[in-house]
Amino acid sequence: MSAVTTPARNASGGMNVKTLNRIVIYGLLALFALFYLMPLFVMLVTSFKTMDEIQNGNMLALPKAPTFDPWLKAWGETCVGLTCAGIKGYFWNSIKMVVPAVLISTMLGALNGYVLTKWRFRGATLVFGLMLFACFIPFQSVLLPMATILGSLGRFGVTLQNATGTSFGLGNPTVNLVFVHVVYGIGFTTLFFRNYYEAFPTELVKAAQVDGASFFQIFRRIMLPNSMPIFVVTVIYQFTNIWNDFLFASAYAGTGDSMPMTVALNNVVNTSTGVVEYNVNMAAAMIAALPTLLVYVLAGRYFVRGLMAGAVKG
Amino acid sequence: MAFLEIDGLRKRFGQVEILKGIDVELEKGGFLVLVGPSGCGKSTLLNTIAGLETITSGEIRVDGRTINDLHPSKRDIAMVFQSYALYPNMTVAGNISFGMEMRGVPAAERQKAIDKVAKVLQIGHLLQRKPSQLSGGQRQRVAMGRALVRDPKLFLFDEPLSNLDAKLRVDMRIEIKRLHATTGTTIVYVTHDQIEAMTLATKIAVMRDGEVQQFGTPAEIYNNPTNLFVADFMGSPAMNLIPATIGTSGNALSVVLQREAREPINLPMANAPAGLSAFQGKPIIFGVRPEALTDPEGAERNASHIATADCHIEVVEPAGSDTFAVTNLGGRGVVARLRADANIQPGTSTPLAFNLTKAVFFDPATETRIR
Repeated sequence: MSAVTTPARNASGGMNVKTLNRIVIYGLLALFALFYLMPLFVMLVTSFKTMDEIQNGNMLALPKAPTFDPWLKAWGETCVGLTCAGIKGYFWNSIKMVVPAVLISTMLGALNGYVLTKWRFRGATLVFGLMLFACFIPFQSVLLPMATILGSLGRFGVTLQNATGTSFGLGNPTVNLVFVHVVYGIGFTTLFFRNYYEAFPTELVKAAQVDGASFFQIFRRIMLPNSMPIFVVTVIYQFTNIWNDFLFASAYAGTGDSMPMTVALNNVVNTSTGVVEYNVNMAAAMIAALPTLLVYVLAGRYFVRGLMAGAVKG
Repeated sequence: MAFLEIDGLRKRFGQVEILKGIDVELEKGGFLVLVGPSGCGKSTLLNTIAGLETITSGEIRVDGRTINDLHPSKRDIAMVFQSYALYPNMTVAGNISFGMEMRGVPAAERQKAIDKVAKVLQIGHLLQRKPSQLSGGQRQRVAMGRALVRDPKLFLFDEPLSNLDAKLRVDMRIEIKRLHATTGTTIVYVTHDQIEAMTLATKIAVMRDGEVQQFGTPAEIYNNPTNLFVADFMGSPAMNLIPATIGTSGNALSVVLQREAREPINLPMANAPAGLSAFQGKPIIFGVRPEALTDPEGAERNASHIATADCHIEVVEPAGSDTFAVTNLGGRGVVARLRADANIQPGTSTPLAFNLTKAVFFDPATETRIR
């Protein structure tokens, strides 16, 4: 008899334990999510409050009279160092730097991955190994040598300017940052694309060769159109990294009109004109974070898919 | 002069020699099948003809022109790949016309060529679909369409049917044969399936370890294998290769087959191959195909030389169209092919007719044919 009843009792007991487990797991997850989202919440709420409300109210309270003024002020009026024209100029600086840096590094990564997998040459593995190694070089160790190189490029730019009337962008801080980020990013973008193309059927390349397509025609017509997932992954990764970079930005474009958003944001917060305008600072920080947020929202679903595609064959 | 000529072709990857001097030729409109177990170099050979692999030495000529160092697109060839290799981002029409587009053929002309090929292969209704929306057989057709549309001198097929299920494979095999018959194109075809080789080819090259073991018509390969490997590889069910010795019966040579717990079978031979007399009293391999080992009533009537012997039947396999019986000779299971309605019971003894005109003999030491 007991042999018959025991499994039933176990089953019902198992159900209870299972439900309890679920409650604990989801409870903890909710707690962590809350903890993680708290700063974002405070930022968002504060950016819509007036200074009075901030000074007299609760930090976590919702704004009583939501106002867009801090956002407008951050965008167009707040002081960055000595100039008080808002952060909009610096926002565009970042865009002007990030877009070419992301596109160039992604295209070079794709080209590298294509060559390293479909046009194998003697020592291809070694080259790839060295490129992988580039992913592990710490930022700090690059700072000084890169400063020297950029200095030389700048002087060469001046020489060019004198000789031809144009410096071809050499010595321009934005161009310098694009250069630095492209060089530093190639390791990662190559890694992404190589792993993706490793699983890419080589027969397609052979078929295109028989069809008479050239090296670049195969790349443009066959490889790239079938690389959407990894392309998105690489763009998100590079965009986030380059947009958020502070170290290179402050080292090579830390002053003047061409400083990127991250440096400008730091200066907004550090510029004191009497009272600290928390709402404006928070709004500026939100504006600085928006583009990366937007990229994730628009292309996020490809992100996981692309990461998987690179990792698992097929 | 043959249409496709391959002379002393060698291919080396580092220290490993993949192709060890291949000599093959094919007449215009012929169908050459390269067959062999995996790793024998047949796909590499095809890739060298296509120009997708370089060659170490030797010469490949098509229509009298040496194409050794030409780019694949300049060789006037078309290739059908094992995985079909359809471009996933293009429609069927785009796939078929990509090659023409690369060669700068005007759009109107491309459209005309697409329509023509679509009609031949009956894929007109699929032209605007993407490859992912097609079934296996349809993809196969599109892959062939992409090759056909170029109207090349030479078609190369790299195991085109191996990804299809059994029934579709038979259908497509017939379709390829029909296509070859109607268009009269010259085809080189790689497969590991010896039935595909037998049914499609006008010439077969059986390959092993980078060497051509035998090159000839399907009938030559089937009836006159030059060595043990070819005899064993071609034919299904495989040829019975029975260890035996050569004895005498009267003043003729005879084949002596050992049996379990019984006296050996002694099959006298009326016209043994000349080389066999040197093997008197020595071991040989006696090769007889299942259809040449049958019940006496089902034996070929006009075969000049048939010897009959009692055999102990171990297993009977009725296969519908035939009945296969397994007996044990020389320590091996030996398959005999009987009529479907042959009255035969496992565990009994039955007379079997050996058609000795179809029998072949091999030297066990060198594995070559004794002629």
